[in-house]
Amino acid sequence: MAKKEELRELLKAELKDDFIGEELAGERRLFVDVHNRALVKTAEILMKQGARYQVGVGYESRKGGRGLALVHTFAFDNDALIVIVRTFAPEDNPEFDSLTPIIPGAGWSERECIDLLGFRFKNHPGPKRLVLSDDWPEGIYPLRHDVPHDLMPPATRDVVFRLEQPPPGTSIVPFGPFHSSLHEPAHFSVYVDGENIKGCEYRGFMTHRGIEKLAQTELTYNDVPFVAERICGICGSVHSVNYAQAVEAAAGIKISRRAEFIRVVMLELERLHSHLLWLGVAGHLIGFDTVFMQAWRIRERIMWLAERLTGNRKTYGMVIVGGVRRDINKEKAEDIKQVLKEVEREMLSLEKAIINDKTIHKRTRGVGYLSKEDALKWNLIGPVARARGIAIDARKDHPYAAYDELEFEVPVVDYGDVWGTLVVRVKEVYEAINIIRQCLNKMPADGPLAIDLDAPIPSGRQALSVVEAPRGEAVHYVLTGEENKPERWRVRAPTYANLQAVPEMLMNNKLADFPIIVGSIDPCISCTDRVVVIEIGLQKIKVMRKEELETISRKMRFEG
Amino acid sequence: MKVAAIFINLAYFLLLAPFLEGVMRKLTARIQSRQGPPLYQPYLDLLKLLGKENIVSSKNWAFRLAPLLAFSSMLAVVLLVPLAGAENLLSHSSDLMTLIYLLTLSGFSILVGALASGNPFAGVGASREMMTIIMLEPVLAMTLILGAVKSESFTISSALSGIGRNHGFSYFLMLVVYLLALQAFVSRQPFDIPEAEVEILEGPYVEYSGPNYALFRYTLNIKRMFYAWLFVVSFLNFVPSGNFWLKLLLETAGILILFVLISVIGATHPRFRIDQAIKYYTLLVVLSLIAIGLGVKGW
Amino acid sequence: MWLWNKLKQLAISLRAGVVTLHYPFEPRPAPAGFRGQPVWDHTKCIGCAGCANHCPARTIFLRDICQEVRILLYDSARCTYCGRCVDLCPEKAITMSDKFELATDNRQDLTQAIELFMMTCQRCGRCYDLEIKNYIDRLTLLGYRYDSLEVRKVIKKSTSEFQPEMLEKTATYQRPERLEK
Repeated sequence: MAKKEELRELLKAELKDDFIGEELAGERRLFVDVHNRALVKTAEILMKQGARYQVGVGYESRKGGRGLALVHTFAFDNDALIVIVRTFAPEDNPEFDSLTPIIPGAGWSERECIDLLGFRFKNHPGPKRLVLSDDWPEGIYPLRHDVPHDLMPPATRDVVFRLEQPPPGTSIVPFGPFHSSLHEPAHFSVYVDGENIKGCEYRGFMTHRGIEKLAQTELTYNDVPFVAERICGICGSVHSVNYAQAVEAAAGIKISRRAEFIRVVMLELERLHSHLLWLGVAGHLIGFDTVFMQAWRIRERIMWLAERLTGNRKTYGMVIVGGVRRDINKEKAEDIKQVLKEVEREMLSLEKAIINDKTIHKRTRGVGYLSKEDALKWNLIGPVARARGIAIDARKDHPYAAYDELEFEVPVVDYGDVWGTLVVRVKEVYEAINIIRQCLNKMPADGPLAIDLDAPIPSGRQALSVVEAPRGEAVHYVLTGEENKPERWRVRAPTYANLQAVPEMLMNNKLADFPIIVGSIDPCISCTDRVVVIEIGLQKIKVMRKEELETISRKMRFEG
Repeated sequence: MKVAAIFINLAYFLLLAPFLEGVMRKLTARIQSRQGPPLYQPYLDLLKLLGKENIVSSKNWAFRLAPLLAFSSMLAVVLLVPLAGAENLLSHSSDLMTLIYLLTLSGFSILVGALASGNPFAGVGASREMMTIIMLEPVLAMTLILGAVKSESFTISSALSGIGRNHGFSYFLMLVVYLLALQAFVSRQPFDIPEAEVEILEGPYVEYSGPNYALFRYTLNIKRMFYAWLFVVSFLNFVPSGNFWLKLLLETAGILILFVLISVIGATHPRFRIDQAIKYYTLLVVLSLIAIGLGVKGW
Repeated sequence: MWLWNKLKQLAISLRAGVVTLHYPFEPRPAPAGFRGQPVWDHTKCIGCAGCANHCPARTIFLRDICQEVRILLYDSARCTYCGRCVDLCPEKAITMSDKFELATDNRQDLTQAIELFMMTCQRCGRCYDLEIKNYIDRLTLLGYRYDSLEVRKVIKKSTSEFQPEMLEKTATYQRPERLEK
């Protein structure tokens, strides 16, 4: 609280006339409107105060004549405070100063704004196309309101993404878009000298589904949780909870305590199965398929449990704005406890079998090393940061749902390598089991599952919500709009932040370690890629002609 | 009889090799709590691959030649060897050098095929394969040379039986070295580095498909069986030569036991990196040299 | 040490045994409360269009082909099995069945269409409105819809904006039994 006042005074004093306005939304958020020219200065002040950069959000105001807006958010993890810096530019000259030179982690957010909203950034080191497909026509910015959500510009064949030239003395090994160690399409062009990696360039965003645009045009508030859940195949519940929290915060809705506990149970079940999934995948990536199979065997119990609780293995569909949809009654609570007991026992024996295995140490220790300073520089989050000695966890730092009432530890190690992320994740499995048990004991016996919303959600409100996904902190930013739908909904998945640091982690490692290093951040490409408008076939498909693919996909879409 | 023995050799290796892969896959599956494919699955796989279209992705003629060369040289190797102690016409007229050269030729043609394909993954795989060949061929050669030293003869059958002639230090040291190298000879985890599916997509074979790939697969199967067989006849040669069929049965049983061992080790290890593996291979080469030294001394 | 670890790993595997199920040969029934394919009960349906208005996947379509007959078409191709329609149905006419083996080569196998005989006064359908307390949900209730069943496209229009041209296409509507042939 004191920090909030302090920052407010500081910003007011430093920025003087450039400080346009403020909005005190609750104790933990501070919205600040600053003048365009003072953006970099504001960011510098906040970073000096110990902020962690989260995400940049661009949007087009539908009303008020303020034109285009750019929002940067900064988290103060020790003070449970998030400062949201808003700045505006006229529609005919959307030029902002780039934060990337001082905050490298801002690079993608800004490139996304260039692609989707037509912003321009001064001093951006590499304003290349990030999100849009290579043959998307110039000058059409999908997230502007005048572009319809189902726009399909004709495809062209002669446009390709220009990858950088490799440094002299190295050659390129292309990983992806389809590669057995990448479970989703993404392209890493890795520069190698023999077996040593000397750099890499990333081109991703090949699975854009236009979810954000869809939510802003076609869907209504309570449709979005089900779409949000499908942002990610692993941590879907994270996104639906996060979205619902953001809308509830914007509308000032207080949901029942029982619903909050049920949300926590689902989130932690998701963390359990996600970490076990990761452990298996990590085993597979270092060629140890037995760990893969055994970890997934243990995980399967949790999937079946989720099926009994929610009606589906993965897409739980539990969350709506205002609460949850299904109850966890006594019977189900017993079921959960029983499954947790078995999972804990099996997990302990698996941990004992692998934690001292020298052959696994050989493949993970010292691999993908990144120092604590570098991790701070790149604003890493989640287990990737906690393996590098940075104790951040949104559940502790920015408590949401029922986490303020729960006691748990945040495992932190300082190995700084792939092994560290493994240790952190294995420890978090036990913490998740512990949290679910506490939830079942502390949950209030009654209370509505979902509350009645008896007033429409006012438009023009903004809110930001964070949820600690298994991979790190996920951020959702919601600007409420007219006609029962959000005007802007921005999703920052954890991989979005972590993936930007992967080229640094890969430096000077062996080519053989590429899969496990990329795997160590538990990349969720579909989370990261969620935005754009239309799926367009890749340029490089040789066997089936692109036109054929397109005819087929379009046919499917319209005629079935 | 000596001509018939050639065909027995051929049939023995060609028919049994895919079955042993089936054993390996089944066991690996069981260790991973899976059902696993049926034991005859590799035969079906080979048949299926043979019936498929041969996609030739490189204009280089070496690309087409490599699978044939690899397969035929591997076949030549198994034709030469004295199965169940029975010399055939061919093993009579060849010596250890022929055997080693043919084995190397088989590995070398995989390299040629990989490099001819021009795929960067195949290139990485080929360089790994090359390092493996350079480091592992000496170990094999030393094993055979130890037999030659002991039996003071360079013919295949006497060299093979020579290793186990007396059970001195050199015998035990070489036995340990061979066992330690076996996993690398058959390129299973932790030494399936040249293929490394999740890293470089089966490396040298990445551009191969259909019948060409079937030949490579078959070559690999026979190679694995050959290395296991070599261990059985040279180190576990306790059964006095007598009944040919009994001896053949015992050898087959020995091979099966070795494959169980290979599968279990393969399923419980992650893959090593090539730099880690090379350190390990270096140790093996040094140890095998010591074994030769001991053998020369008569210990 | 190394051997001990490996033995522990083997022990885990062997204790678990084979866990693969003989799935397609041994049926594996879904648990209670499973969200399988939704099934409409035409005797209970009052044609209020609550499900059509709230389907997040927009895969339930509605069209009045004449004054009396209303067609509700459920196209499972895009269905996400969220069960939202079941939650919102005021008459409990929809149930999530336990059917999940839905692969088929004919899309019609999974499409459900109900032809409902409606009262002449179509406004009666609005009684649904009163059942819903949730304001967010109530906001989307605009009235009757004239979705394009042919291209399976949602056209949200209230009855006050009804245009006769939209009805022209109803001539091409084929009833399900005819489509099967």
